[in-house]
Amino acid sequence: MAATLPDTTPSSLPTTALSPLHPTSTPPTSTFHPPTHASFPPFYTLQPNLTTRARQLDLWSTHVTTYCAHHRIFRLNLSNPPLNLFSNPSIHRSLKTSDIRVVLDHMSRPENGPRIEWISAGAKGEQSSSCYVYWKTPAEWAEAIYGWVEATGQKGAVLTVYELREGDAVREREWREMDEELLRKALGVLVKRGKAQVFGQEENAGVKFF
Amino acid sequence: MASNRRGVGLSAFSNAAISSDQYARHGQQLRTTHADALANQLSVFQAALHNFSLTHAKDIRSNPSFRAEFARMCNAIGVDPLAGSNVKQSGGAGAGGKAGSVWAKMLGSSVNDFYFELAVRVVEVCRETRSENGGMIAVNEVQKRIGKGRQGLVGGGMDVTEDDILRSIESLEPLGGMFKVQVLGGGRFIRSVPKELNPDQSKVLEVIQVLGYVSISLLRDNLGWERARAIAVMDDLVADSLVWVDTQADETEFWSPASMHDGA
Repeated sequence: MAATLPDTTPSSLPTTALSPLHPTSTPPTSTFHPPTHASFPPFYTLQPNLTTRARQLDLWSTHVTTYCAHHRIFRLNLSNPPLNLFSNPSIHRSLKTSDIRVVLDHMSRPENGPRIEWISAGAKGEQSSSCYVYWKTPAEWAEAIYGWVEATGQKGAVLTVYELREGDAVREREWREMDEELLRKALGVLVKRGKAQVFGQEENAGVKFF
Repeated sequence: MASNRRGVGLSAFSNAAISSDQYARHGQQLRTTHADALANQLSVFQAALHNFSLTHAKDIRSNPSFRAEFARMCNAIGVDPLAGSNVKQSGGAGAGGKAGSVWAKMLGSSVNDFYFELAVRVVEVCRETRSENGGMIAVNEVQKRIGKGRQGLVGGGMDVTEDDILRSIESLEPLGGMFKVQVLGGGRFIRSVPKELNPDQSKVLEVIQVLGYVSISLLRDNLGWERARAIAVMDDLVADSLVWVDTQADETEFWSPASMHDGA
């Protein structure tokens, strides 16, 4: 008994000492482990067999959402996609731009989430080249934000959009520094449900939760 | 002694009848004592096996190598752990739950249940991955997935051996031959789609097992096939979703989905 006690105390000490360091010492970009099928060469070729392709698109959909969730990407731009999301340099394979579009189109279908939403292009008839990635849907974000407001007793108070995105109180929250348009969408969901009211314009918009 | 003497007169006939009757009775007696002795032995054996399985039930369920040894012992003494499923079918129609298998009665159905449970997992894995591999999955891949447990459930994993999986597939036999084990290039595969592979297709899958992928020219060089033949086989395999296509290499390559999860 006496021998085990000194064993446990030193082992518990380093863990408590390390844990506060952990978030600051390792940037989130270095720890993402791509799924094993990301190093499977045919993964980057759109499969001719439709059954296989359906499975492939599902795998891609999960891959894109987990990647974006890990790197906290709210908006994808096709002309400048994030590093190594649609390509794997170690096996010299990458998804063609037209195939990326197929994947994203698949994800944008309502029966698949939708996991992305195209942002309409400026000019009419032009193909849009950027989209929101819903690793959480606006409804899920709305739920999370409302849950937080409720838990912290801020119902009835007025918060600014800036506070919701960058305030000290949300530093630990998943939606910190969220894409502003996307945040407005989430708030729109709450407005529709009668749980919030948005007033004011742009920069200094305020939100009141009920 | 009496039979050696033939006797005289009419009584000789009745004598013969009596002696044969006596033989028959004696034979009957011998048979019953034999049967009694055998039944006695069997019940003793069953009791012993029952006791064994009760004291070791936990080991049988949790320890794969112990389970394999136990199954081997049962095989050696001529008891099939899975024979129960058939007995249940024939006897269960009228009697309901009472007509359990010999095995289930002796072991409290835990071994039986173990393999049925495992069979359900195997079927689940096969169905889950069918769109990915066209219904052909390596036994060790199944083993890995079952060991990991169901997605989203904590602690659902089962420690099983390939042998266990093969046994559980045998237990699916009464449901019709939907699940077959096939040997390809040294690896065992479970085929969960009712389809026979032709020799060319098996050959190609075997090559893929060894090399990881094939291409048309590779098939021509190594198997001496005509280009058209190779293309036809590959088209078939693609159509059955048994291989995945990679067009970004120098020549189109065909990959087995089995290597997708190995982290090549």
